[in-house]
Amino acid sequence: MGYEPQADFGTPRIDAAAEVSLTIDGRAITVPEGTSVMRAAALAGGNIPKLCATDSVEAFGSCRMCLVEVEGMRGTPASCTTPVAPGMVVATQTPRLEKLRRGVMELYISDHPLDCLTCSANNDCELQDAAAQVGLRDVRYGYAGANHLAEVKDTSNPYFSFDAAKCIVCSRCVRACDEVQGTLALTISGRGFGSQVSAGQAGDDFLSSDCVSCGACVQACPTDALNEKAVAEIGKPERSVITTCAYCGVGCTFRAEMRGEQLVRMVPWKDGKANRGHSCVKGRFAWGYAQHKDRIRSPMIRESIDQPWREVGWDEALAFTASRLTAIKAKHGPRALGGITSSRCTNEEVFLVQKLIRSGFGSNNVDTCARVCHSPTGYGLKTTFGTSAGTQDFDSVEAADVILVIGANPTDAHPVFASRMKKRIRGKDGQPGAKLIVIDPRRIDLVRSPHIAAAHHLPLQPGTNVAVLTAMAHVIVTEGLADEAFIRERCDWDEYQDWARFVADPRHSPEVLEAVSRVPAAELRAAARLYATGGSGFGAAQGRKPNAAIYYGLGVTEHSQGSSTVMAIANLAMATGNIGRPGVGVNPLRGQNNVQGSCDMGSFPHELSGYRHISGGATRALFEAEWGTALDSEPGLRIPNMFDAALDGSFRALYVQGEDILQSDPDTKHVSAGLAAMELVIVHDLFLNETANYAHVFLPGSTFLEKTGTFTNAERRIQMVRRVMQPANGAGDGIGKEGLEDWQVTQALANALGLGWNYANTAQIMD
Amino acid sequence: MDSPSHLAEILAAHAGREGALLPILHDVQAAFGCVTGEAEAAIAEALNLSRAEVHGVVSFYHDFRETADPRPHLQICRAEACQARGVEALMAAAQQAAGTRVALEAVYCLGLCAAGPAARVVGADVGEALHARLDAGSLTRLIEGL
Amino acid sequence: MRVRISNDAVAMACGGEAVAAAFAAAGCAVERVSGWGMHWLEPLVEIEGAKGWTGFGPVAPGDVPAILAGTSALGIGAVAEHPFITAQTRLTFMRAGRIRPLSLDDYAGTGGWQGLARARSLAPAEVVAAVIQSGLRGRGGAGFPAGIKWQKVANAFGGSAAGARKFIVCNADEGDSGTFADRMVMEGDPFALIEGMAIAAHAVGAGAGYIYLRSEYPHAIATMRAAIALAAERIAPFSVELRVGAGAYVCGEETALLNSIEGKRGVVRAKPPLPALQGLFGCPTVVNNVLTLAAVSHILREGGAADYAALGVGRSKGTMPVQLGGNIARGGLVEVPFGITLGELIHDFGGGTASGRPVKAAQVGGPLGAYMPPDQFHLPLDYEAFTAADALIGHAGVVVFDDTADMGRLARFAMEFCAVESCGKCTPCRIGSTRGVELIDRIRAGSTVDALASQPQIRNAPKAAPSRAADIALLEDLCDTMRGASLCALGGFTPYPVLSALKHWPEDFGGDFGA
Repeated sequence: MGYEPQADFGTPRIDAAAEVSLTIDGRAITVPEGTSVMRAAALAGGNIPKLCATDSVEAFGSCRMCLVEVEGMRGTPASCTTPVAPGMVVATQTPRLEKLRRGVMELYISDHPLDCLTCSANNDCELQDAAAQVGLRDVRYGYAGANHLAEVKDTSNPYFSFDAAKCIVCSRCVRACDEVQGTLALTISGRGFGSQVSAGQAGDDFLSSDCVSCGACVQACPTDALNEKAVAEIGKPERSVITTCAYCGVGCTFRAEMRGEQLVRMVPWKDGKANRGHSCVKGRFAWGYAQHKDRIRSPMIRESIDQPWREVGWDEALAFTASRLTAIKAKHGPRALGGITSSRCTNEEVFLVQKLIRSGFGSNNVDTCARVCHSPTGYGLKTTFGTSAGTQDFDSVEAADVILVIGANPTDAHPVFASRMKKRIRGKDGQPGAKLIVIDPRRIDLVRSPHIAAAHHLPLQPGTNVAVLTAMAHVIVTEGLADEAFIRERCDWDEYQDWARFVADPRHSPEVLEAVSRVPAAELRAAARLYATGGSGFGAAQGRKPNAAIYYGLGVTEHSQGSSTVMAIANLAMATGNIGRPGVGVNPLRGQNNVQGSCDMGSFPHELSGYRHISGGATRALFEAEWGTALDSEPGLRIPNMFDAALDGSFRALYVQGEDILQSDPDTKHVSAGLAAMELVIVHDLFLNETANYAHVFLPGSTFLEKTGTFTNAERRIQMVRRVMQPANGAGDGIGKEGLEDWQVTQALANALGLGWNYANTAQIMD
Repeated sequence: MDSPSHLAEILAAHAGREGALLPILHDVQAAFGCVTGEAEAAIAEALNLSRAEVHGVVSFYHDFRETADPRPHLQICRAEACQARGVEALMAAAQQAAGTRVALEAVYCLGLCAAGPAARVVGADVGEALHARLDAGSLTRLIEGL
Repeated sequence: MRVRISNDAVAMACGGEAVAAAFAAAGCAVERVSGWGMHWLEPLVEIEGAKGWTGFGPVAPGDVPAILAGTSALGIGAVAEHPFITAQTRLTFMRAGRIRPLSLDDYAGTGGWQGLARARSLAPAEVVAAVIQSGLRGRGGAGFPAGIKWQKVANAFGGSAAGARKFIVCNADEGDSGTFADRMVMEGDPFALIEGMAIAAHAVGAGAGYIYLRSEYPHAIATMRAAIALAAERIAPFSVELRVGAGAYVCGEETALLNSIEGKRGVVRAKPPLPALQGLFGCPTVVNNVLTLAAVSHILREGGAADYAALGVGRSKGTMPVQLGGNIARGGLVEVPFGITLGELIHDFGGGTASGRPVKAAQVGGPLGAYMPPDQFHLPLDYEAFTAADALIGHAGVVVFDDTADMGRLARFAMEFCAVESCGKCTPCRIGSTRGVELIDRIRAGSTVDALASQPQIRNAPKAAPSRAADIALLEDLCDTMRGASLCALGGFTPYPVLSALKHWPEDFGGDFGA
């Protein structure tokens, strides 16, 4: 095991159809055209020293350490900025190169602190590595010359510090903030020897700058100049575990870097398919809640909610819970019991909860937070496309020519994905980027922020989503911009014609609807045309159809007419042929880290796993056979209905895992009244939340760091969550002494009810 | 005219220009004698750049100052051709004459290389700014006359 | 009486305005013309007389009455017949001293716009071919064949310009000490530059051009602004915009220049990609020096390419406008075919030092050029010959030093200049130039024990002060690192002046050199 830094090939991967073969130090290698010599050498197993190159950003060519000799080329070009050429013969280790590299290194160290042994980057510093690699033995300039060692350290940011005395002005941080994150909070101020990394303007420090604490600069920095404060306090990590973030639907893959049982830092994993080595402040730095003193570590029970909590061991808590559940079931029937699954817990855990409710409690009274979030997505996309999920992965945005964002604020809510979207909008190397349309009553950051400007912002009146989309459809149909060939081939032509007739009606024109939407008709027409055609002259200039993609969020779904809006979005995509290839599609930006998975696993009261209706006999039979018990064939209560039913006395017991329904659900008075009316409320969570005020049983949960399982992100990508530390909820002497993952708690509860579950691990649950 | 509206006028005058930042900064420097942090922020907003970017540019080029210096400025060329004509020997007396009243700056070449030592009065009219074939006396007189 | 006085910056800086005013006050009609490039005679005045125009210089206001009375001793005869002028082959500078710079009539009357008219009658590829035939190499310093560069840009996007933007960028950031030819063209014959840019635009398919002009040239800025406005119709639909630098010598490097126009910090870009393919705003761009583009206007005239190629030696074809400056008796603009020797330039044209003392050294090619001792003055002006002698022609500025020059101090200045002007991007230049200054100081003053290295906690460093030999070796290593590893010529060529000074005048570095 041991701690290995992530592999760094120096310059970004190039995807090209053509390949180039060359020889590096006598080894033959073939790489995509456009790959740098540095990257090719790294792929061939070589090791060219580098300080300013890192594969998350474009080559820069400033450190001058990576020089190589190329047969037929004069001098010693930098391998990071030299693309491979067919038949190139490269030497990366020659006496000349060694001399030059040592010369450069000598200059670096003549302006650098010398107390490596007490530095928090000791043994995790690329400058050290390079000095060792080139065999530096002496800094003949001495140490009396001009230097930057008197610089004051900037500790303003709570998570990381910037020590300019250790900065080697490689500009990796500036480039990361520009190219990866897209915030451009950093620059180099001054020039020459006086060049310095500056977080903003003259009076700014990191905290006052535009920095959003995504950590990309810290990750990129080769020295201790930018380093996590945790590393300074705790020490260098010794091992790492790959896992998935639990904050949002992007589902960033992280390396949880540990020192013993202590988490030192979460570093984005470069091979993460959703995040590709980037992160936001939440997953990167805000994991301290896992070890917070307010975590509830042992189960608690009480007879009634006006009594204080009593800490007990797991055995007692589970026995108490099971006996109460059994009693209520006996007296009021199985439909008096129900539960709410978590959109933060793993797929396996969600599966167990709904299985417990269906096969253990005996009802279909199970639901999830998607109810108040993306359930319109589930319904709308199932109806239009047949699957309750989006059509693209995140990579798809790189191929988009037009991006339409409606009811979403990705720079705030899905920052890592937003950075990728912004990168596409900015274009590259003089090539134009994607054009942006924003439909939002608010002037979100995407409308205008450094280097980003929406071609059209439609600031509609709240409540007019459907009207605006219908007006856009009107433009597309009446101006002949629909993709007839696509519709005939891939959609239902008759349905299309009905729809087209409807939207083409004059009462749906932008001019008429402007009265309700308050969106100027000319602007709306222009936006619709842009979405459908890519802009005038697109076909002639590019020789192909434009790729137009729609991204939407809770501004669409957490709304009345949410499902209609989702279907309207899907119709726009279908009518213009924007389905079925990279760069297009309908992309719901799912909020929570596993809301997609939670829905997939059968959290809805009317559907079993895989969105199969509970009334379907064949499906139900499968599960009955699998679970060894009969299942209720009637759809159960949705969350709002659970509270209604609680108030009328027919719903009396609730098992809530990982959701603070009193905080999250609408009509707080209704929720609290419903909770208060229940006989047994079991809250299974990390902290004493709002809902816990009405609970009789508190089962301490485990964070994503303390369990193994899978999350499904907004791309429908299923990713591993791996346990990095022991659950904190070990209590008592019996079961649960060593801490329980949430699925183990659910299983223990099931077994306390006599269900006899014996899953040994979550893989068995998934199987 | 007050600063914000003058700045707004400058920004408006360059609207639509590609790569407008340096022309704008020149105009701001000429109008206010410096480019302040507030100006940097306003320019960033107008050009849709980040504040950091604008600051990085302002701090790179020697022509832009952070704070205005109302004193007369004399740039004396210290490059090779003027050195070959003995400019270095004039510096002590020049500094003496300038004291704190006149700001002396080094400039590297005014293109008068066969007529050195040469100097330039910053901000003077095109016809009066340049001075060549300086010696101790003429340089001192020049400084004293500023 | 008609009087001609230059409004070239040298004339102005030497009191030309006062002289002009004095003549005007004496009732003369004063014409302001471009400078002849005979700087030791400025303010140079020409009086129209029965036998034509007679020159006088250098003139002070107090000399005006004598000149008008015909009793002045400052006469030099007809300027056009002065040996300094007649020994030259003025093609690019054919109009120097002979026209009013902003007069479209004067320009057209001296062959102006003929090159453009002819170019526009030819196919773009033919224009490129003419430039290739002429052998014109970039006059900014790199000496890259101009026609080949144009060809690359012309062929970008498979040669088609459909929807693609291309640019002509003129590098007028003439920051080298000892150079003023660009300035003279812009102040004295601005339409020639504009015409050259328009010809280039036709050849490669560019719609717009920029002139990047350093802010230290206020006269040139004013003149170019006016000239661009006056010439706009002539060159349409091609248009030119002036951009002023902001005090950064490194922005004379082509990629830093492009960054500067784009509104960024003037740091150097790595190559590839070449600006010819990915230059200004990511588009294919021709970046050429003022002299290169000004030469194009006469090369494209009928027979111009062949005439140009017939001059010069080896692969250095055509003429080079050499600038004689520093401690020189007769300094100014000398346009001659390649092949002339350095000694002929300095002594025959330049007349040796202004001080009358012996010539000790000449720096050719600006602050990044080698210091050459008199025993190298036999070298012919030829790109390849200079490179073989570890020297460079650059922009052909020749700065002469007499024997009071301290070459050690000049070597230190070379490092100091690099440190002041370093963009800061690459390590060898950013840190190396500062260390170079410190090291040369140490060599000249003698080194001492390093305070930190003498601490017991520092185990690996030698305790004793480095010897002079060791420091000299370190300076040579530093120069080697800067030569071999720098990103651009600022760091890369600073070793030229340093090492040449060290090699030829080790005695100027203090201490005892093996005596």
